[in-house]
Order: sequence, then C-alpha cells, then structure tokens
Amino acid sequence: MDSTFFYRNPNRTESPAGKLAGMTVAVQSGIGVAGWPMDPGSDALAGFKAPENAAVVERLQQNGAFLAGLSRSSEFGLGLDAESAAGRAIEQKDARAEIMLDLAGEARLAACRSGIWGFKPTWGLVPKVGIAGLIPSMEACGILAGAPEDIRLILSAVAGPDDRDFSQPAFSYADGSPAGIQPDRITLGVVEEAKASLPGDEQKAFDEELAQLQKAGFKVKMLSWPDYGLCGLVHRIVGSVEASSSAGRYDSVRYGKRAPGAKNWNDMYLQSRGAFFKTLLKSYLIQGAYFQFERYDAYENACRIRARLCKEFSRLFEQVDALVFPVQKPDAPETLEGLYDQFKSTAHANVTGCPALTAAPFAAGGPALQFVGALKDDVRILALGIFLSRTATGGKS
Amino acid sequence: MMEFEAVIGLEIHVELNCATKLFCDCPNNPGDDPNVNTCPVCLWYPGAAPRLSQAALDKAALLCLGLNAEIQSKSAFDQKVYYYPDLPKGYQLSQAHLPLSRGGWIDITDEDGSVKRLRIHHIHMEEDVAKLVHEMEGRNPISLVDFNRAGAPLVEIVTEPDFRTPHHAMEFLKALRTQVRYVGSSECSMENGTMRADANISIRPKGTSQMNTKVEVKNMNSVRHVGDAIAYEITRQSAAVQAGEPVVLHTRLWDPDKKVTLPMRQKFEGPCVPDPSVPPIELSPDEIEALSKRLPEMPATRAERFVNQHGLSAEESTYLSSDPEVAGYFEELLREGVQPRAALHWLTTQLLPAVRQRRQELSQTPVTPARLAALLSMLAKDEINANAARDVLSSMFDSNDAPAEIVKAKGLAQVSDASALEAMIDQVLAAQAAAVADFKNGQSKAAGFLIGQIMQASGGKANPKVIRDMLTRKLSSVSA
Repeated sequence: MDSTFFYRNPNRTESPAGKLAGMTVAVQSGIGVAGWPMDPGSDALAGFKAPENAAVVERLQQNGAFLAGLSRSSEFGLGLDAESAAGRAIEQKDARAEIMLDLAGEARLAACRSGIWGFKPTWGLVPKVGIAGLIPSMEACGILAGAPEDIRLILSAVAGPDDRDFSQPAFSYADGSPAGIQPDRITLGVVEEAKASLPGDEQKAFDEELAQLQKAGFKVKMLSWPDYGLCGLVHRIVGSVEASSSAGRYDSVRYGKRAPGAKNWNDMYLQSRGAFFKTLLKSYLIQGAYFQFERYDAYENACRIRARLCKEFSRLFEQVDALVFPVQKPDAPETLEGLYDQFKSTAHANVTGCPALTAAPFAAGGPALQFVGALKDDVRILALGIFLSRTATGGKS
Repeated sequence: MMEFEAVIGLEIHVELNCATKLFCDCPNNPGDDPNVNTCPVCLWYPGAAPRLSQAALDKAALLCLGLNAEIQSKSAFDQKVYYYPDLPKGYQLSQAHLPLSRGGWIDITDEDGSVKRLRIHHIHMEEDVAKLVHEMEGRNPISLVDFNRAGAPLVEIVTEPDFRTPHHAMEFLKALRTQVRYVGSSECSMENGTMRADANISIRPKGTSQMNTKVEVKNMNSVRHVGDAIAYEITRQSAAVQAGEPVVLHTRLWDPDKKVTLPMRQKFEGPCVPDPSVPPIELSPDEIEALSKRLPEMPATRAERFVNQHGLSAEESTYLSSDPEVAGYFEELLREGVQPRAALHWLTTQLLPAVRQRRQELSQTPVTPARLAALLSMLAKDEINANAARDVLSSMFDSNDAPAEIVKAKGLAQVSDASALEAMIDQVLAAQAAAVADFKNGQSKAAGFLIGQIMQASGGKANPKVIRDMLTRKLSSVSA
C-alpha cells in the first residue's frame, strides 16, 4: 500500500503557463478533484468520486500547478493519526507543496513534524467549496511547503472570493508588492499564558529563540491573555457540535460502506455509522451530539465565549504587529484528551480565524515557532516568514 | 357538564414560487420526473456549499410585509437536526433562532360578523426536504427518494394561539392565501401542496386562561379538512378530559376518508444549532423600506377603494378583491370604459363561470378585458341585447375576431328601428287576439306574453325595450 498517497495522478501533463507552472502539489484526500476518489480516511465515503473540482483545485490547475495526487488523511482531516501522511509527500520530494484542511492546527503541526513551513490562512480567505469538511466555522485550507515563498505564491493563486462559496466573508485578497520586513519596526507579542504552559526546559529554549528574534532587531513584548486557556475548550465544544452536524450526511445510502443485516433504514443508519466511523471521530461526534441534545446551554455559552475571545485576541494586535507562540511537536493521540492536548497551542487561530504560520525551531531542542497575525494580515505574516527563512534566525527550509 | 373552549395555533408552510431552489440553481419544479432537478448542493454531497437565493429572500420578505409582519434587520439559518431518509444531510436549514420576521396579523370576519384579529408570532425561511415514495417491488416493499423537492424554498408562518374555532382557522387560511397571492410569492394551493397547514390544538375550561397540553394535527389537504380536523380534535379531546383521560403531547394525522385524527409515529427530532455555512441575512432599514415600496395594494385596502370609488357594496368589493387577477380584470374593464356595475355583473356571473368551465386561467383566457369591454360597449349602446351578448361571449373563447365581427357574422345586431318592428308587432297582435283581449280585461301579464311572441318573431334580434314601449302605446290606444 502507498502510505503517502491515497491516489496518485496517473497523468503528468505539465501546464506551460501560470504563476505555479512547474510546481507539483499534493492535496489531501478530502479535497475534491473531479473524477478522482474522495475519501478523507473514512469508510463513510467509500466509493465516492468527486463530481467536480474543489475551488482550490480549480485555481491550482488554472495557475499551472501539477497535482501529484491525494495524500492520505486522518479521518475527515481531524487530528494527525497514524493514517495521516500530511507533509510526507514534501519530505519525500514527491511534491513541493501540499494543501490540507487545518481544523485545529493539523497543517501547522504536520509541518512542524516534517520540519517544513505550515500556514493556515485567515478563515474564509480560501474558498472551501468541494472539500469534505467537518468544522465549517473553524477549518481553513492549510498550505505546507519547504519554503514560505512557495506558500505565499500558492496563497496568491488560491485566495479570494468564489461565487459558489457563500460563507466567505466579504473581503478580497491582494498580495501586491512584497511587503518588506524591517525588524526594528516590528513588535512581536508573546502571550505569557502560552509560554507558561510549556515545560520548564522548553520555556528556557523558547526564551533563547525570542532572544534571537530580538538580536535580529525585532521588539518583543510580553502580553497577558488570561482567557488563552479557554480556546481549546471552546474549540472542543463548538467544533464537536459542528462536526456532529456535518457528519450527519454520511448515511451509507448513496455511497460509503453499509453495515449488513439492518432491519430497517433507521437501524441501517445506526449500524453503518457505528461500523464505519473510527473510534476517535466517533468519540468526537458523540461528544458533539451530547452538547447538541443534552447540554445546549453549554454550547451557547461556548459560542458567547468564542465571540469574547475573538474580541480579546484582536485587541492584542493593537499593541503588537504579530504574536509568537511556541508549538510542541505532535504525536498520534488516540483519545479526545490527547487530541486537544496536541492542539492547545494552535486551536486559538482556528477559534479566532486569524492567519498563523509555523516555522521549524530556531534553537536545538526548542519548540517550533508559530507567528500569528490579525485577521486578513496574511501577507505580513508570510513576509515575516520569508524574512526569517532568509536570515540566520530562520528555521531550516 | 363542563364547557370547554379550544386554543388553536397554526403552523403553515408556503412554497415560494421561485424559479430556482433555495440554496442552488436547480429548477424549483418538484413535479418534474423524479430526480432530474438535482445537483451536488441539493443532493448534499460532500463539499457542497449552499448559496442563498436572493429571489427567494425577496419573495419571502414581501410575503412577510404582506402579512403585516416586521422584517428583522438580522436573521440567520440554523441546522434543525433529524435523521430521516427524506433529509440526507441529517439536518434541515431553517431559521429557528433568528427568523426573517416577527409579529404580523390577519383580520378575519368572525361568525357573528365582527372583525377578529389573529396574530402571527413569526415567519421564517427554510428548505423543503426530499419526497419519499413507498412502492412494492414484487413482494418487497421499497422506499424511493425523489430529490426534486429537496431544497425547494419555503416559508413557515407560525401563529399565536389566538384561534378558538375551526371557522377562525379556515378564514385565516383563506385570507392568508389571498394576501400571499397578492404579493406574488406563492400560489398557496393546499390541494397542490404549495400550502400545508398543521394545527396545534388544546382545550381548557371556558373562561380560564390556562394553556394545556397540545396535540399537533397534520395531513390536511384543503381548508375544509383543516376545519373538519380541528372540529374533530376538539370533540375528541373534550370527551377524553370528561372521561378523566389525560391529553398527551403527540402528533396525529387527519384521515380525510374516515374523518378522524389518528396518532402517528414520531420522527426523531433534535435541536437547532446555528449554521456556519450560510452567513446571516442582514437587511438595512433602507433595504426594508425599498421592499415595502414593492408591496402592491393589499386586498382590504383595494376592497375599501372599490366601495368608495365605484359604489360597490362591501360584500361585492371583498369578493372582487379576494383574487388579485379578478380584481385586476375588473379594473381593466373600468379603464376600458365599462360601468362598474356592468363590469361586476358580467365578470362574476358570465365570464368567470365560463372560464372555469373551460379550465382556463383568467390571465390566459382569450377573452381579454379589452375584448369583453368592446362587447359590453355594444350592449350599452343597444346594438345587441343581453341574450346576444351571452351568445357572442361564448363564441369569443373560440375566435379571435372582434365582438362586432362575431355579431355581424351571426346576424345578432339588435333591431331598434320602429318602422322595422311596427309590422312585426301588428302581425303578432293580429294573431294573438286572445292575449290582446286578456290585456284589455286587465290581465297585465298578457303584455309579457306578447313581448315574448314579438321577440320570437324577430329571431331574438328585436330590442326588448323598444318593443315594450311600442306595444304599450299600441295596446293603450286599442283599449282606449
């Protein structure tokens, strides 16, 4: 079995033109490519072929990119389980970049795991039509690449409004002249509560990395965001409720594996859903159903707190140009607790919708760094990554 | 014996007559061959993204305004979660928390003739679900799903529990249908399924204000069925309470053949969570004002105008204005110069029955207001008589010729010339000496008989008014 690709493109027809000409891109298996199987690591979609190209695929192809194939995904892109091959196609030089869903930090953590750059754009900047999603209000099309320049190039090709995606906020994307970074004019903020969540030795390594940034000319400012710790909880409640609804359409009637021996259609739904979802996703969906049916009040509170977190987060950018968060490398969790522990340093960007870029660690043994910008400040965050990648401070590329 | 009164509220689904479905561009024609009007969006394939139809929003908003409701500046769609084969994505997009409008009312005439205002709680938009068809394949029962209806645009009108009698519910539905047709948002036909009403019914001792456990009744396919089902349910619940049996919250189906309500199996229904894929609808005061300006004159206002401008009775005006097409036709006739009473008479007693008999729509009939006005103009000028006009009207359904040409071709022009009629009258008087004698002896009915004989002799073409005048003169001179 091909452990990297769920499906490899059998044809190699290079497009001669376009800003992505010559670039080979892998897309995650839940992203629709017309006529190709669409199976984000779940028997729920067994046998399903995408009826049309996802908007992001259409734009990649229009700009001359070559699709290497569909990379293997954890079930519906949630988490980075043993099935997920996110980042591997780039490591193996099968692709220069990869597009995958970032629901809670998957694209960024996968990049950290592979020692490459991972980016989650502002929510809604890249249309999601044609992608089998799970958490519509949090997920975004993540971009992985060995160099942040490639991410910026791909983003400029795939960002912007699409007539078919009504959920996109009313803003356009403009990557005009490359925004130069003058370190002495940039203030980077560090959320004290995020730093405090690190083990002692990693805190020290993180401090060393911050010292390197200061040495490069950046101002570093410590900030307090007391509610930082609520991001994971809010994501868990709101995300699981949305997932529970989103997965409702997988009923094994028109596609997907069907459990045998059901007595009637209700029984068929129950048995099939019980059989084809894997344990982690099933736990997540059951948790979402619990909040939908039994604790709707908690869900409403989580929505209210989310609105508050968004306001608080945007206020931080009144004091600084970007935030730096430490990110710990992921493992493959089997429980929801483990899953959210993994995303504790990334989920805030999904909760608030802000753009976030992860870089490989600057210091040996230190955590990877994640640069987070205000909403729609994607270009500056990528320019910052490009600046860092070209200086001694930058991570490996 | 304790006397009860009913507390009734209605939930009415109205299918908007939009060209496309609510969230995709598929044709909104549920009656087409099964599953031809589908796409990845209304089949809810993975990755499909709903896009709200502006036309549906406009029609829904006009409907709200037509029912005196207040459009909300912000409304939003929720996911109404339930699992059933008619809803393959597991939730219905509906506005549970933030409806398109709140408030509203319809005035009806109560059984004692007084005006009763029935309030609307809110109106929200939602998508229709697919249609299930249950068949036998050999000896095996099978269930088929037709997705043509999936995603069709609906509004749901939820009333306050202001209704007390079946009459209230029936009159409300009739008035609702009229008003929605006026704004052009739906045909509102219960028989064709473009309007569906469910009733929530409870009873309480008369004179109290308590709210007791309600029972929901579905499956009424006509306004009359709604009345019958409510009447049955009031009787059933009253008997149950008298017998000391508790009323339990549940849903019942109306069986129109047996004329009873029967308990139905419950669908599993879950909560409503905000939908993240369809952005909230935000309407500024200017946009709402612009929509209000698109509202046509509503039936009550039009009826009042008919009374004041054209001297019709309140009853005649209400009848005319209850159907926008009929009222429009009436006004077209007036614009063509027809007098109001003649227009009312010929439209309601001659044209409408003839159109219905031919299974035509008023808007499609070849007897346009201009053509009918031309016919009525000939009648007003005594160029034809009423019998001939009826005959010509009938021919106008099958011919595009002008009424005057039909009159000419059929030789129906009225004879009003005294010299032409003189001889005819004299011949009849000579032949009907007995009737003339009766008249002389004071039997005035004999004059009617003689007029009939003269009309017959003229082949129906004689002007009855002229004949009557001439005959009266002649008989008077004879008797003198």
